[in-house]
Amino acid sequence: MTNSIGEIRDADLVFVIGSNTTEAHPIIAMEMKRAALRGAKLIVADPRATWLAGFADIHLRLWPGTDVALLSAMAHVILDEGLHDRAFVEQQTEGFEQVRDAVAEWTPERAEAICGVPAADIRAAARAYATTRRAGIYYTLGITEHTHGTDNVYCLSNLVLLTGHLGVRSAGLNPLRGQNNVQGANDAGASPIFLPGYQRVADPSVRAKFSAAWGAEVPETPGKNLNEMMHDLRHGAIRGMFVMGEDILVSEPDVAGLDAALPGLEALVVVDLFLTETAKRADVVLPAAAFAEKDGTFTNSERRVQRVRAAVPPPGDARPDWQIVSALLQRAGVDPVAGKAADAVVPSDIYAELAGLCDKFAGIDHARIEAEGGLQWPCPLPNHPGTPTLHEGGPMRGKGLLVPVQYRGSIETPDADYPLLMSTGRTLYHYNVATQTRREPGIVARQSACFVEVHAEDADALGLRDGGRCEVATRRGSIEAAVRVTPRVQKGMIWLPMHFAEARANLLTIDAGDIVTGTAEYKVCAARVRPLPEPAAG
Amino acid sequence: MPDDDHRPPSAAPAASPDAALPAAGATALQLVVDGEVVQAQPGETLLDVARRRGVIVPTLCHDDRLHPTGACRMCLVESSDSRRLVPACRHPVAEGLQVQTDSERVQRHRRALLALYQADQPEAVVPGSELDRWMRRYGVAAGVPALENQRQGRPDDDNAFIRFQPERCILCARCTRYCDEVEAVAAIGIGHRGPQTTVVTAEMRGLLDTSCELCGGCVDTCPTGALVENKALPRQMELADLPTVRTTCGYCGVGCQMDLTVDREKGEIVRVASPPPGTTTNDGNLCVKGRFATGYVGHRDRLTTPLVRDHATGELVPTDWETALDRATASLRGVAARHGAHALGFISSSRATNEENYLVQKLARAAFGTNNCHQCAAT
Ligand code: SF4
Ligand code: SF4
Ligand code: FES
Repeated sequence: MTNSIGEIRDADLVFVIGSNTTEAHPIIAMEMKRAALRGAKLIVADPRATWLAGFADIHLRLWPGTDVALLSAMAHVILDEGLHDRAFVEQQTEGFEQVRDAVAEWTPERAEAICGVPAADIRAAARAYATTRRAGIYYTLGITEHTHGTDNVYCLSNLVLLTGHLGVRSAGLNPLRGQNNVQGANDAGASPIFLPGYQRVADPSVRAKFSAAWGAEVPETPGKNLNEMMHDLRHGAIRGMFVMGEDILVSEPDVAGLDAALPGLEALVVVDLFLTETAKRADVVLPAAAFAEKDGTFTNSERRVQRVRAAVPPPGDARPDWQIVSALLQRAGVDPVAGKAADAVVPSDIYAELAGLCDKFAGIDHARIEAEGGLQWPCPLPNHPGTPTLHEGGPMRGKGLLVPVQYRGSIETPDADYPLLMSTGRTLYHYNVATQTRREPGIVARQSACFVEVHAEDADALGLRDGGRCEVATRRGSIEAAVRVTPRVQKGMIWLPMHFAEARANLLTIDAGDIVTGTAEYKVCAARVRPLPEPAAG
Repeated sequence: MPDDDHRPPSAAPAASPDAALPAAGATALQLVVDGEVVQAQPGETLLDVARRRGVIVPTLCHDDRLHPTGACRMCLVESSDSRRLVPACRHPVAEGLQVQTDSERVQRHRRALLALYQADQPEAVVPGSELDRWMRRYGVAAGVPALENQRQGRPDDDNAFIRFQPERCILCARCTRYCDEVEAVAAIGIGHRGPQTTVVTAEMRGLLDTSCELCGGCVDTCPTGALVENKALPRQMELADLPTVRTTCGYCGVGCQMDLTVDREKGEIVRVASPPPGTTTNDGNLCVKGRFATGYVGHRDRLTTPLVRDHATGELVPTDWETALDRATASLRGVAARHGAHALGFISSSRATNEENYLVQKLARAAFGTNNCHQCAAT
């Protein structure tokens, strides 16, 4: 997020796109409701009639996967009506002409034909966004989990730059992170192209710095991202995996392919809390500690580094991941923390080494967080207060780049054999593959099994009964689920949650990723649904 | 003292007019609080001014996140513009006002009111609750006979998380206003009449059959412990004696701060509560996952010992750490030796800490010589 969660309540316009905020980030949604009750305009772009959409002044109910068309038309309106911030564009951005040309043809009427949102609503949303100063954009996986996810993000950042909604309180471009520490994992360098602090592996001086600090050479060859690793695993180019805290056999797309490839692995080391599907296939399973059993830091969506504290001991012989990885480093001949005996290392030492190698975090340490509460990076010095709002006084480095984007359809769209568009997502009550939430009986009482949302007209045409069983099939596989007939989804589309292991939505999703980030396409593929016979009574 | 209104409220509090927001840029006015001249902004309440000066005015129905209603009468103070005591939580400041927050009359009112609240509680009040804290601080007037408590609960509510104990309720309506104004689902309200007035749901249904999202904000805001986490209920009277640990929620990227009440002997999390409103990003709020879905932490399915695959039987068998770590290192090294470092992949976790992610990428790069390192869910 360029801005902070606490700034949302003072916004005059909140534009939420591809985020079912009330279910995925309930506390941020509370702030949005608070702003709306105060009189802020709320614009929600979502294919489904989510709870927040019901609260919105304008609901842009687009067809899944057509975000680029919608957002290009919004940019078109802003430029066509001269609503952009000329001074900001001139002084702080580059690439204006290319973007102007790219959206020139994208009249709201043309976009309406593709995304299904009335042209008048597109105009109203664009005008309101462009003419409100404290106007923030919030998005999440509904924007990024597409084959054109990066394009979607460029479209959004173009809107921000064209209107100068940057470096302003309660404005900016704000991705809401799904998992608690997506931000921190990226920050800490769990990335094939970045060392900690977003320093590029490709840069020889960066490699030299880390090699010197670690006393071991940082390899030059670029790494593979998650999607590429999974692809290579399926094709035998990856032969050994270390997997910490993730059940890739449930959470990754096209798990059937993955499942078939696992026997080809010569080494699979899994660190987890439970004997997950992936752990069951491992050579070595190392029992880890849960968040309440260990010390360290998480970094939230607003770049705030906060403490995690051990409250209870881990069960049996389980150990915190940091201890486990330290022991592995030690065995491989690398000091977990340079200059410190391996068995004396504590999490604050690890953070100190990380921060010492990254200007962005250099002013942060455990002791300061202890004394001051969380700190938002960039925080370059021990007396720096942290940075709640990014880009105050201009884009951080150089000029903001406006990037022209061309609309491309999703890779797999409905056809005669698979006539429905299938999208997946999350619910309030479960978390990812629910290995944790499904061990909470009270949660299970609320939502116990997989369901699929179907529009009433499709249900009638297919002979589906609300509450009945059905089979959802795609070219990859099929699952069973309960039918939920609801106006939340549009005619022609279905939606199902990704939380349930016995009905793995990812058996159905397509193995395709964003061409730049590799983030998987979970939001659009083609499916068909048929009713299943009711189990005989008795 | 008929003019000192210290009756507990017997009916639903009236809806509040406006939140007490100071009008930005308006000219300051002056008033006298406990003999000292103080500045205030039009639109502020006496409570705002008192708090800014560090003066403690006891409150029960007040919550900064909610429109003030003046329901509980706990915050009454003397103010020169009224013959009766006035509720500081909703009484607006005015030029030249003379305010007494701790006069003999105010103190008498507090003890008398607390005595009435106590007479209406079933037995001991819940230690550590706001009501308990005020009783300890101000004392309770003697000689008020116990009242017969007629409020009804929802005995058939079988939701697993939230219990309502009607006999402890003082009808301050914090829970219902929270549900309406903050969570915005309006699953609970104040209903019935006279002495039967209580916290209700539509047709007294269980929360699972209402619009309730089980956020539990009602429990955190309740000043008496009438609302309590089901799991903590058997130990409610000892909660205040157990240690708490501040930590960060392990579920989503909001990063809510939470206070875990723990039983160190049993190694158990007894309850999860939010830090007070206004102190952390989550402003006193948590969602259902953060507050209630911690059962997995001590779950019987947890792995408690390292496992390695027995090549003879193909089974995973328990072993000690040394053996498991050696096996892990040797097998990853073997792959690197046979196929090169780039045949290895390291998947780190967006659930793990910064420190752990840092070590995993160091392991991939410095120990095994590959940049094939990524977190799961890189979004
Ligand atoms: S349950 Fe608690 S918060 Fe709700 S009205 Fe009763 S005392 Fe107040
Ligand atoms: S309490 Fe809920 S909203 Fe807050 S961090 Fe946890 S999961 Fe996210
Ligand atoms: S009347 Fe003021 S706190 Fe209740």
